[in-house]
Amino acid sequence: MRVSELSRTTARIGYLQTVTERMDRIQQELSTGHRIQRASDDPAGAALALGHREAITYEAQMRRNLESGVSFLNASEAALGSTTEALQRIRELTVQASTGTLSQPDRTAIAEEVNQLIGQVAQLANTNFGGAYVFSGHQSQAAAYLVTGNPPTSVAYQGDAGLRTRRISKQDAVAVNVPGSTVFGSVFNDLITLRDNLNNSVPGPTIAASITNLDAALTRVLDARADLGARANRFDAAQRVSELTDTSLQELRANIEDTDLPSTIVKFTAEQNALQAALGAIGRTSDMSLLNFLR
Amino acid sequence: MGLSIGLDTAVKALRAHQLVVDAASHNIANANTPGFSRQRVLLRPIGIDGSDHFGRDALLGRVGFGVDAHDVNRVRDIFLDFQARQGLGSRYFYSAYDSAVAKTELTFNDPSDDGLSALLGKFWNSWHDVVNDPESSASRTTLVNSTTTLTTRIQRAYSQLSSQRVDLNAEVSAVADKINQAATQIAAINFQVKQVELSGDRANDLRDRRDLLLDQLSGYAQITYNEQPDKTVSIYLGDHELVTGNTSRDVQAIADPANAGMNKLVFAVDTADVSTTTGELRGLLDGRDTALPTLMGRLDQLASSLIVTANGVHSTGFGLDNSTGLAFFSGTGAANIAINAVLSATPAKIAGASGLGLPGDGSKALQIADLQLANTMTAGTETFDQYYGNMVSVLGADVNRAKGAMESSQLLVDHLDGLRQSVSGVNIDEEVTNMTAAQHAYNAAAKVISTIDGMLDMLINGMGVH
Repeated sequence: MRVSELSRTTARIGYLQTVTERMDRIQQELSTGHRIQRASDDPAGAALALGHREAITYEAQMRRNLESGVSFLNASEAALGSTTEALQRIRELTVQASTGTLSQPDRTAIAEEVNQLIGQVAQLANTNFGGAYVFSGHQSQAAAYLVTGNPPTSVAYQGDAGLRTRRISKQDAVAVNVPGSTVFGSVFNDLITLRDNLNNSVPGPTIAASITNLDAALTRVLDARADLGARANRFDAAQRVSELTDTSLQELRANIEDTDLPSTIVKFTAEQNALQAALGAIGRTSDMSLLNFLR
Repeated sequence: MGLSIGLDTAVKALRAHQLVVDAASHNIANANTPGFSRQRVLLRPIGIDGSDHFGRDALLGRVGFGVDAHDVNRVRDIFLDFQARQGLGSRYFYSAYDSAVAKTELTFNDPSDDGLSALLGKFWNSWHDVVNDPESSASRTTLVNSTTTLTTRIQRAYSQLSSQRVDLNAEVSAVADKINQAATQIAAINFQVKQVELSGDRANDLRDRRDLLLDQLSGYAQITYNEQPDKTVSIYLGDHELVTGNTSRDVQAIADPANAGMNKLVFAVDTADVSTTTGELRGLLDGRDTALPTLMGRLDQLASSLIVTANGVHSTGFGLDNSTGLAFFSGTGAANIAINAVLSATPAKIAGASGLGLPGDGSKALQIADLQLANTMTAGTETFDQYYGNMVSVLGADVNRAKGAMESSQLLVDHLDGLRQSVSGVNIDEEVTNMTAAQHAYNAAAKVISTIDGMLDMLINGMGVH
């Protein structure tokens, strides 16, 4: 084939351009770390990568929900733990008082301690976490129990049975609270009655009746604690699953989207060699002319 | 008498080879001129033509009367021109279309950490934060911010696409000027070629310029052309005359009543539409009237569905101040989607609760967050995220296809150009060789003259009186 000056020039420019373009492309892949810069680089891969990115973002939010959810559960659990201790102390005192061997001043002293513990339990029932009263259900801006009088004459529930449900995975939405009414029930009225009975020299057997109520209250609190603990465990498990999911999603995304460093560096070196060879060949042939050999 | 014929023969040789050197010089001068075809001096021997019976000389008739440089040709293959112009039509079609759609891809900038997809993800996540802390003003403010970021990006993408359409429209109008310029020049060259060639000369260089203009023109739009017996070239653009003889018909851009805000190209003379299936013009029109509107439509669909579904849920919920019946988004589509200004001013009004007076209830917010998982789009088969992912992927495939087609049509054009160059291009070594050969022939012819001179000297001065 005849080769003209113009086609030789065009071919040289074209070749250099192709090699530099490829090198630029590889350089970009290396410096950004992404094989897919734009969707057009790999349309099907881009769609997959977007799906993975979306799932990764979703999982991150699920872990965020789980983390703050566990804190909420723990705050409730801690309050109920202290409540258990207080109720157990009251039960001990009630058992002592019901034997009938105590003098009235001793019973009054016990009544005073029970009165203190009523206040303590009411305070625990009004635990606030992150701006929300944890035992108020959906009425989270109002204290769960309104204490009237000093010493208290009534302790009224101000919350509702609302559950604070949040999403912990695509399939599950779980509540992080227990409404106060289901945990505490009639415990405050029972304790006020107990205190008043102790102050008013009511006979031992009548006082012993309060023990049944206290046992029922303790059971409710323990049940609630078991429930909260189970949920916290479930949250922990879900978090571990989410972390595993995240790892595999990140890996899938990286496989599609990210630059394979070793092979890309090899490609880059190959292109570099090609460019050097081309430049050398062009340099050597471009001053070759018949004119150099004619006198 | 015989010797003077010899002189005449040698003079013809001098002239002929001088012409060969001139042609080589012209070729070398234009070695890098685009569109130039090398020129060749056609030599032929002059033999006895049988008419000159009077001076017939039996031996001389067998020798011949020397050389005749009877023509100067340009070396060109018009079939290759035809193929190359078809190639140029699709090359410029794809490059115009590719640059139109490639820009739209940058508008969305996905997959990336700050593309529309990531912003959509942040929007959904902010709803979960409201679910987790419905009474918190911080989570509501975050939701307002991530919503504003999302809607601003959607609006910006939409307006960028609109302005890209406007840019393409300006390019469409510019094609009219480019067509007119080429057509006017071709008409002028037609006139000159006709004048030169009617007198029996060759308008080689004018023809080269005309061919180059035809190359350009076939890159702009679909043309058909043929050379008339009077050496002019007639050109049709689509099925309408563009150039006949030394007349060209102007094309102009006028507002297209069927395409709001956009222009169409018509012939000035009769306002007939310019139609083309190839070339830059077709690429620009396909980008402007098909690719971009489709994409804008899809983005608009995404935005309007988001508005309708989110508002549908939100309006049934209750804010911290018990406000209800409020839309979450204002606007109707991608052009004007925004967060309801009432909500951004007072985030407490965002409806997180399903009932009146339930500050700790995030169940309405959870319903909205869960819209992320719902198959809302494409007749209930895709989530918002999937719809957007497919939109980006389809766009990417379109850009990818256009780029590939552009590259392969470029390869074809390069190949055909190479073939054309192989026929018509100048090779300096070749020209120098031709020149050297001509130089030797010229020198030899000069030697013939001096030999005949010596012979005549001997005849006239060396003979006779002693």
